[in-house]
Amino acid sequence: MTFNSLVKATALVLALATPQALLAGGAAAPLPTQDWEHKGMFGEFDNNQMKRGAQVTVEVCMGCHSVKYIKFDFLRQFGFTEQEVKDMAESQGQTKKSRMISSMSEEDAKDSFGVIPPDLSLMTKARKGYEDYTYAMLTGYLNEDESELINNAMEDDALSDSEIQSIAAKLHLNPDDPEKVKEVVTRIQNGENFNKYYPGNFFAMPQPLMADQVEYADGTKTDLHQLAKDTTAFLAWAAEPTLMERKSTGKGVLLYLILLTALLYAIKRRMWSKLH
Amino acid sequence: MFKNIMAWVDERLPVSDLIKSQLTEYPAPKNLNYWWNFGSLALLVLVIQLATGIFLVMHYKPDAALAFDSVEHIMRDVNFGWLLRYMHANGASFFFIAVYIHILRGMYYGSYRKPREILWWFGIVIFFLLMGTAFMGYVLPWGQMSYWGAAVITNLMSAVPVVGEDLVIWVWGGFSVGDPTLNRFFSLHYLMPFLVTGMVVLHLWALHAVHSNNPDGIDLEKKDTIPFHPYYTVKDLYGVGVFLLIYCFFVFFAPNAFLEPDNYIEANPMQTPAHIVPEWYFLPFYAILRSIDFLGTFSKLAGVIAMIGSIAILFVLPFLDRSPARSFRYRPISKVLFWIFFVDCVILGWVGYNPSDAVVLGGIPIVYVGRAASAVYFGYFVLIWIITAFGIEKPKPQPKSL
Repeated sequence: MTFNSLVKATALVLALATPQALLAGGAAAPLPTQDWEHKGMFGEFDNNQMKRGAQVTVEVCMGCHSVKYIKFDFLRQFGFTEQEVKDMAESQGQTKKSRMISSMSEEDAKDSFGVIPPDLSLMTKARKGYEDYTYAMLTGYLNEDESELINNAMEDDALSDSEIQSIAAKLHLNPDDPEKVKEVVTRIQNGENFNKYYPGNFFAMPQPLMADQVEYADGTKTDLHQLAKDTTAFLAWAAEPTLMERKSTGKGVLLYLILLTALLYAIKRRMWSKLH
Repeated sequence: MFKNIMAWVDERLPVSDLIKSQLTEYPAPKNLNYWWNFGSLALLVLVIQLATGIFLVMHYKPDAALAFDSVEHIMRDVNFGWLLRYMHANGASFFFIAVYIHILRGMYYGSYRKPREILWWFGIVIFFLLMGTAFMGYVLPWGQMSYWGAAVITNLMSAVPVVGEDLVIWVWGGFSVGDPTLNRFFSLHYLMPFLVTGMVVLHLWALHAVHSNNPDGIDLEKKDTIPFHPYYTVKDLYGVGVFLLIYCFFVFFAPNAFLEPDNYIEANPMQTPAHIVPEWYFLPFYAILRSIDFLGTFSKLAGVIAMIGSIAILFVLPFLDRSPARSFRYRPISKVLFWIFFVDCVILGWVGYNPSDAVVLGGIPIVYVGRAASAVYFGYFVLIWIITAFGIEKPKPQPKSL
């Protein structure tokens, strides 16, 4: 038995062996993947995007969520003026030296939503899918067409087969399980928050972001995709502000190690050549 | 000047003699392959873990209310704190990569056979200590996986007859995993690496008493050996370069690849994560633990015994294997069994990673796969004994010397 055939056999077994329990148990749609400029060996945070993301975070997200490991003052590194940072802090009833804590108290949040909104400082690191997860949470709600489809469904208290098929396709549900589709439609009509990508689909958070909800100072378009992308990129920075330092250090370290290892290999070859 | 100082020291403590006999002129087999690099690599990671760990402790707070924040403080505020933490967290994974390859190399080339049994046993003790150290270290960041992993594993002690329940409360220092648990794990996580270091000294002493095995597994004549320095110092250093390259790639460019995202959520005793998984290096043993679920109330105890037994059985491997040849190079059946064992460990790891109620391969409950793979795991040791004790395997002719 050769090593290669073993590797192939193992790969085949693993491919066949993807657990089906996860697929059967009402799991959400697979996360759509985005290109993130800060990812990869040479990826960097873009200051303009950070400014836009910080703006959405302060004006929208911080209505309920905190970003407790970041202080307002840190935002100046992206080019905000001291006055702008002061204004942002004041909008939350804070000073520029405070941490980014939401003005909504935990008790109020619990009264309104039933749960305390999680802190966003580590959100892009703390969920499977990382940045793509955060982006999917911001964009996975029903759009206008889909909402209309759901609202017009079940007018006579029953779903037609064609309705089941089209709703299941749009909402990433199993079309062979009409009971489940019916339950989902009923819950949405009762006002629960449906997100295509959230595991279990129903979510305490109402749709947080709408297109054109903020106005960007740099004139960038404000469709939902752009807002979600900027916000997620900013939260990725908030999750690891040392990311750029890490990568630039890493490039030097790897370069040094490649040189060192090549030299060591040459010395090893030369030393051992005397033996043979 | 240096000569005079060394002469003064040598008269009182024979340092030069030690260096000469144990390093510069220490005879090593000339046919060692690159699988023999992983002992020195494991030692390198031990040093990295000690060095980074000592500095992490200067900034970490072993307090259930402060631990999670203090790790983020290290990541964000401490100069190069992110480097210390990522080196330490990935160091744990690379420690196990090095140690697993080191153990498998010993199994394939028969390094546990006479006269190296004590050397082998010291190695197993180090392995047990490492697992304990890694488990307790993983609890310290006090994330969700830290907390719930600790809860699941410490709960296993309740399987001990009669005193089990009291034992768990004693270990926790309370009625659940909490601040006292975190404090004692921190203390032990700092203590155990020094026990590991002591065991490594004994491991090296035992090695230097009987000398290295080699890929042919035969006893070597003097002409087949070369001085450790410079031949193996330079070869080990080259191995260090390659190993560090891979390790540093992860530290700087994929530092969270081995970590569960859930551990970036602060521990919450009121909220159980959907799916509790241990670190990858525990997965095969976790799978064996969960595979025994068919003995009713005895399942838990039997699972724990099987899990500990799966490593402890390595202690008797030198006595199970009776082949006249050490190295599997000359043992066709053993070689096949070894590779089956290796693939089986990977399968066990995959079983351990999945939820215990998962269904795979079109309808098979994963626990059946786990049971079969556990049987294969222990079967390896039984079969090695059968084929060697009853002369079923006829080794190929071995060279007398190189």
